[in-house]
Amino acid sequence: MTNRIRSKIARGSAELAILSLLEEKTLYGFEIARQIGERTGGALKFTLASLYPLLYEMEKKGWVQAHWEANSAGRDRRYYRLTATGRRQLAPLRREWRLFFQALDALSGVSHA
Amino acid sequence: MPDWKRLVRKRLSCTANLRPEVMDEVAAELASHLDQVYEQARLAGSTQRAAIRIALQEVKSWSDLRAQIRRTRSTEDGMTHRTKTLWLPAIAVLFATGLALVIVDRAPALQELIWIGLFGMLFGAVVSEAKNLNERTKRLWLPGFASMTAASLFLFAVNIVADPSRFFTEFSLRPQNVLHVESGPGLVFYFSWIIAHLLFGGLGAFLSRQAGGTRGARVLAGMFPALAMLLLCGIVIPISAFAEHNLFVERHPMTLVFGMMIWAGIPGIALLAGAAPFLNDTMPKGHPVAAG
Repeated sequence: MTNRIRSKIARGSAELAILSLLEEKTLYGFEIARQIGERTGGALKFTLASLYPLLYEMEKKGWVQAHWEANSAGRDRRYYRLTATGRRQLAPLRREWRLFFQALDALSGVSHA
Repeated sequence: MPDWKRLVRKRLSCTANLRPEVMDEVAAELASHLDQVYEQARLAGSTQRAAIRIALQEVKSWSDLRAQIRRTRSTEDGMTHRTKTLWLPAIAVLFATGLALVIVDRAPALQELIWIGLFGMLFGAVVSEAKNLNERTKRLWLPGFASMTAASLFLFAVNIVADPSRFFTEFSLRPQNVLHVESGPGLVFYFSWIIAHLLFGGLGAFLSRQAGGTRGARVLAGMFPALAMLLLCGIVIPISAFAEHNLFVERHPMTLVFGMMIWAGIPGIALLAGAAPFLNDTMPKGHPVAAG
């Protein structure tokens, strides 16, 4: 598998992870990275360098919207919330990834590995 | 504790094209993230030095991050080199030439050729800017524009080759004549025009699908030419006909309905038929999942 393809798969999965998380609630960058790491048992990890360019791109596309707000400790954080456009991306993304894993499973039995 | 904001500002200092307020916001947000990574490491028992090292490991290449931030947060001067150096000058020159001919009212055939070129160049410029366009533009407006351009080009081309303007002047308000068996040239023109709409509809839907458009966007993009004709036949022509008291229309108002059917309804069906093969949910080439 070439690096280009690997990076595209990583990017697609990262988009789905972020959108799915923001579907539940509004979060700021560090919390998004922490929760994704925690909930995937460390399988998906975001660093500053991988997270923010993606968030900014999703913001540019209109999938998420950001605003500054003080958190419970009184510190200003830039919170991201899912927009209606972003919500519409979720269903096809989920379907495509389901198909992708089904195809991989049929080919190599990854779900039984 | 390090001054994270100062560090981020310094490392991103070469980020051109960013407005100062955007740069401030980016620096504040990234500094806040580094600060939280640092605090988390400290709470986990790391020394100050180790915590700083852990925080700095969040960015392997500041130059890569700089480039990505420039691409995603820059709003100024986003035009591609090709657009700036080729399309815009060519469009300006061509537009000026065409306008001059219109003003002096000379060389109608040349004017038509110029407008065809202008359409093509405008489309080229928009395609060059594709990466700077928002999703809606890529999925709806651009494919729709392509479909409408193709349909318009067809009319221009026919106009040059066979001068079909009489079909519009003679038959536009008498659509039943178009379908009359005796009007052979009218029929040839009309049916070749309808058949060509299969291609135009397919083009719009195909481009929309490639950009990841929804099924609705693909349908709309493919049917743009018919929608434009519907607007023309359903609003513009009736208003102008009644405003100038066109006797034929006043005596035969149903003509307008026939007109809409002939010039918008039937082409719309052909466009939809052309778009149909591209309405399934096949993933566009280059999609992250499809690529895998």
